[in-house]
Amino acid sequence: MSDLTQIKQQLEDKFVYLKGGIREQGERRLWSEVSYDLFFDVFGYAVKELGFDALCTITGLDEGEYLAFIYHLSKGGLVFNLKTKILKDKEDLRTVIDYFPGAAIYEREVVDLLGVKVAGLPDGVRYPLPDDWPAGQYPLRKDWDPKVLDQKEAG
Amino acid sequence: MDDKDRDMLISIGPQHPALKEPTSFSLALRGEKIDAIQVKIGYNHRGIEKGCESRTYIQDMYLLERICGICSHAHSTAYVQAVETIAGLQVPRRALYIRTLIGELERIHSHLLWLGVAGHEIGFDTLLMYTWRDREAVMDLLAELTGNRVNYGINTIGGVRRDLTKEEGEKILKIIDKLEEQTKYYVQIAQEESTLIQRLSGVGKLPKADALRLGAVGPTARASSIAFDVRKDDPYAAYGELDFKVVSADQADVYGRTVVRLGELLEAYSLIRQVIKNLPDGPIAVRAPRKIPAGEALSRYEAPRGEDVHYVKANGTDMPERVKVRAPTLANSQAIAKMLEDRYLADLPIVVAAIDPCFSCTDRAIEVEGKGLMSWEKLRQYSIDWYRKQGVDFRNVKRII
Amino acid sequence: MLSALFNILVFPGLLFLSFLGTTAEYIDRKLYARFQNRVGPPWFQPVADLIKLFGKSEVVPEEADPAMFKLVPLVALAATCAAYLYIPIWGTKALYYFKGDLIVILYLLTLPTFTFFLGGWYSRSLYATIGAIRSVTQLFAYEIPLLLAVLAPALLANTWSLSEMVEYYTVHPWYWLFNLIGFGVALIALLGKLERVPFDSPEAETEIVAGSFTEYSGRFLAFFRWAIDIEAVVGASLLAAVFMPFGLGYAPVVAFTLYLIKILFILCLLTLARTVMARLRIDQMIDFCWRIVAPVAFLQILINLILKEILL
Repeated sequence: MSDLTQIKQQLEDKFVYLKGGIREQGERRLWSEVSYDLFFDVFGYAVKELGFDALCTITGLDEGEYLAFIYHLSKGGLVFNLKTKILKDKEDLRTVIDYFPGAAIYEREVVDLLGVKVAGLPDGVRYPLPDDWPAGQYPLRKDWDPKVLDQKEAG
Repeated sequence: MDDKDRDMLISIGPQHPALKEPTSFSLALRGEKIDAIQVKIGYNHRGIEKGCESRTYIQDMYLLERICGICSHAHSTAYVQAVETIAGLQVPRRALYIRTLIGELERIHSHLLWLGVAGHEIGFDTLLMYTWRDREAVMDLLAELTGNRVNYGINTIGGVRRDLTKEEGEKILKIIDKLEEQTKYYVQIAQEESTLIQRLSGVGKLPKADALRLGAVGPTARASSIAFDVRKDDPYAAYGELDFKVVSADQADVYGRTVVRLGELLEAYSLIRQVIKNLPDGPIAVRAPRKIPAGEALSRYEAPRGEDVHYVKANGTDMPERVKVRAPTLANSQAIAKMLEDRYLADLPIVVAAIDPCFSCTDRAIEVEGKGLMSWEKLRQYSIDWYRKQGVDFRNVKRII
Repeated sequence: MLSALFNILVFPGLLFLSFLGTTAEYIDRKLYARFQNRVGPPWFQPVADLIKLFGKSEVVPEEADPAMFKLVPLVALAATCAAYLYIPIWGTKALYYFKGDLIVILYLLTLPTFTFFLGGWYSRSLYATIGAIRSVTQLFAYEIPLLLAVLAPALLANTWSLSEMVEYYTVHPWYWLFNLIGFGVALIALLGKLERVPFDSPEAETEIVAGSFTEYSGRFLAFFRWAIDIEAVVGASLLAAVFMPFGLGYAPVVAFTLYLIKILFILCLLTLARTVMARLRIDQMIDFCWRIVAPVAFLQILINLILKEILL
């Protein structure tokens, strides 16, 4: 049994709701999705018990009513892509800097580009948008229109 | 703290001679010592991820290649790998080998560039002049193989766009031999030149635990004895079939990072020899569909600066739903503040340079097919004629020298 | 009166020194470039640079003290030129000399560093302030070894006048070989004085832009550049007179040619040093000067004191 299948097995044994929800892709990729109230159980288990010791990045997706986030956890060559969803503008994320202090910059990135709030993220310099960026404009949302910037310049 | 001991606030950047791209460091100095540091990045945000959503897969490849002038092949390969995984394309082996070859040549020119910049940051300009002279050989080679010095445009979804001839292979080997000799000389300098060692040793310490905690990647992490290399652990292209070792060091400082990069240069020469020796025959590309079926993939690539991560999500049309890029510098930037803890102002440039922050490079295209390489005089004449056709005449302008 | 004016302004004063200074800069830059596989500048480049700078408009920062800001570059130029008049170059006697002129030369050569400090300090720019503080910090590190190194040959000659020293060594033609350690110390100190790699942290461009000179532009920067060019020649001349005093007893033409060869040799050594070394941090520089260079200078003095007992 390869490492990947073994990890999949361990995850399925631990969390029954993940059964059938974990997809293997190639030799070294696992994909899974979990609702946000259960997210930290799975995330914490993968980091603490399964030895996923690095967070490649956090990808934010705009899925209409929801904002989805994929946490790409890696253990050597293996990557466990754990996806979760929250309601757009209604729910907030909680920070993962307790697990990965270096994740702060990835969280600041989704804050700026997708307009999600991250509870527990300490104040700091914003990234990557400029300081004078208009409030409430989140470029990676699908309904965002770059024309806003032209109006700002004209005004 | 009495008044005399008050901190001096100084800003390095966004524009500063030590920085090759805009970044801003706000420092609180007590005498020469750094008391506190705040890093601001993001001046180079160009909205490329957003731009990818309104372009086709092929257009995106060229756009992503222009994220950075130095590791352009890293970005384009990471992206096409992700798209190929989604589309389920079987890339021919010959194409994989050529990608590896270009990737290693890119690593050579990037590491030589870094060595020069590191020399310049500590006031050792002779090293800069030497390494950049050698780097030109690789740049010219890349121009000859791909058509461009920096944004090579050799990748395409499903393979590569240009084949490698036997003569080109021999020429590469010849240049690699020369570069190897030079690199061994630089290794000797790094071992013997005392002012160089004094400026690099013990500077920018990043213990293994901190490197892991802060998510450092690439040579920065490998110098802190984390022997992780995507080429080895998550092999892509032809790396699974080639023999090389992951270079790591345990000094955990700028000197260690120099040692790792020099070691990687020597490994790259051996890799290139293997690629040329074992280059399989066959086609260099398979046909890729215009519309990519729905799906998602994550691709990793060991860029000269570290692990480069691309995530692509396809929705069945000819444009991706989402492209996410995590360049190695972003991961390493988190460690800068830690490395500069309790250090001197004079250490800032070299410590920042030691993670090898990715700077944009200007592109220069020369014509390889058709008219052949143009000499300086010919190029000048060509431009004069071209402008004359536009109605601008330079004939009456006297040359000063 | 007229001849004094000629001495100050033409030979061996400002005009001749400027010629030597710009030539020295050219040799330094050309040699540095050739060492690095570059082509290097044409021979008139240093002069062209100065002329260009004189033609540019100058900006005085609003916060700066305008009087001091404009005055100090001239002081630097004047001090280095004045020092040169006390150095023997074509015979055993300098143009002007008196008992104790060696101290005056060293004092005049310290002034440029102080002007760098004052210029940087009164610019009120952060980079310039840091550069200014580094200049002065560095001064304390190299000035003592330099003084000790120059003191040793003077002890042997039993005089505080440079011209009398040269005369003594002309009478005893091989005694200069005793001072070779001091020569090494003085060369290192001269690197510090001229703020060249490896001791150029006061103007380390990758940290503090241009140090003291960050806010300087146009004419005032040109005066500084000019003074630094001349300082290099005067410093080399001092070392040549103190540590290589041979041949000054011959006919003036021969002595003068020998003098040119000597300073060329010293200037080449300085260029070589900056080619093969990296810039030291200011704390490393001070550490190096106090822990190694100063004790070595003391050793030279000890040797000369013993020699004096034996030889006299």
